[in-house]
Amino acid sequence: MTAAGATATALRAPLEADGRDLRIAGGLMLGAGLLLPFLPEGAGLPCPLRTLTGVPCPLCGMTTSVTETLRLDLVDALAANPAGVGAVVAAVAVLAVRPARVRVSASFAYVTLAAMWLFELHRFGFL
Amino acid sequence: MTEPAAPMPPAPPPPAAGYAPPSGPSGPRANFGQRLVAAIVDAIIVTAVTWALILVLAGIADEGGAIVAYLLALVFGVGYYAYLEGGATGQTLGKKVMSIRVIDANTGGSIGYGRGVGRYFARWISSIPCLLGYFWMLWDREKQTWHDKICSCVVVPTDAYPVQ
Repeated sequence: MTAAGATATALRAPLEADGRDLRIAGGLMLGAGLLLPFLPEGAGLPCPLRTLTGVPCPLCGMTTSVTETLRLDLVDALAANPAGVGAVVAAVAVLAVRPARVRVSASFAYVTLAAMWLFELHRFGFL
Repeated sequence: MTEPAAPMPPAPPPPAAGYAPPSGPSGPRANFGQRLVAAIVDAIIVTAVTWALILVLAGIADEGGAIVAYLLALVFGVGYYAYLEGGATGQTLGKKVMSIRVIDANTGGSIGYGRGVGRYFARWISSIPCLLGYFWMLWDREKQTWHDKICSCVVVPTDAYPVQ
């Protein structure tokens, strides 16, 4: 198989995550989102890419979005990064349902990541 | 008299076109929680030494002292990760606490000091897009971060892959 063929196969393969890993990551995200409003201003993680180059990354705005979603301020959450709302819903679902594994279509994951980046590039005036 | 051999089960049908078998790591891998705690322990150690260097050298010298302090801090960071992860055990202090270690993805042996240095700088690439390269392990088949992939290594539990 050629390198291009192997890459195409890898990109088509579904992404599968361990349920326990997702519960840890989701729980930490929800905990941090609940805790951050009580910490001093600027306690969130600055994006290294935007700090270095001024260009936002796909995950920029996620801290604000998750925090605002947990405060039920969906307008501000969606304005910062719509994926934050989805991340909170997914985290709550993973903690409640406790699946052993979670499978997601790779194309869905990569398209979502690309859409998040386009949104942030637009939000910061690059598009 | 020997027992008759049990009949062989019929071979499974070939997978349909487009079918993807369940993916999973090819062996036991350190989980997200173990790696996170190990990273926090290492970060505390490296940050403490870094701050001590900066405070001491920048406090007793001018701007040049601060630059030297930052360079020494960088050297300490590179040395800490490269020496400990590139060594025979593949364990930093944080990884030792969590009973996990770094091994070569192909041979299962040590990654060596050269790749240990490379892995340190590859962490920067994992960090740049809001740590996306670190979170990648959550859905990666071999639970590899970007810096694992760049340096062709995996992080494994020591009970499954004991230190020789």
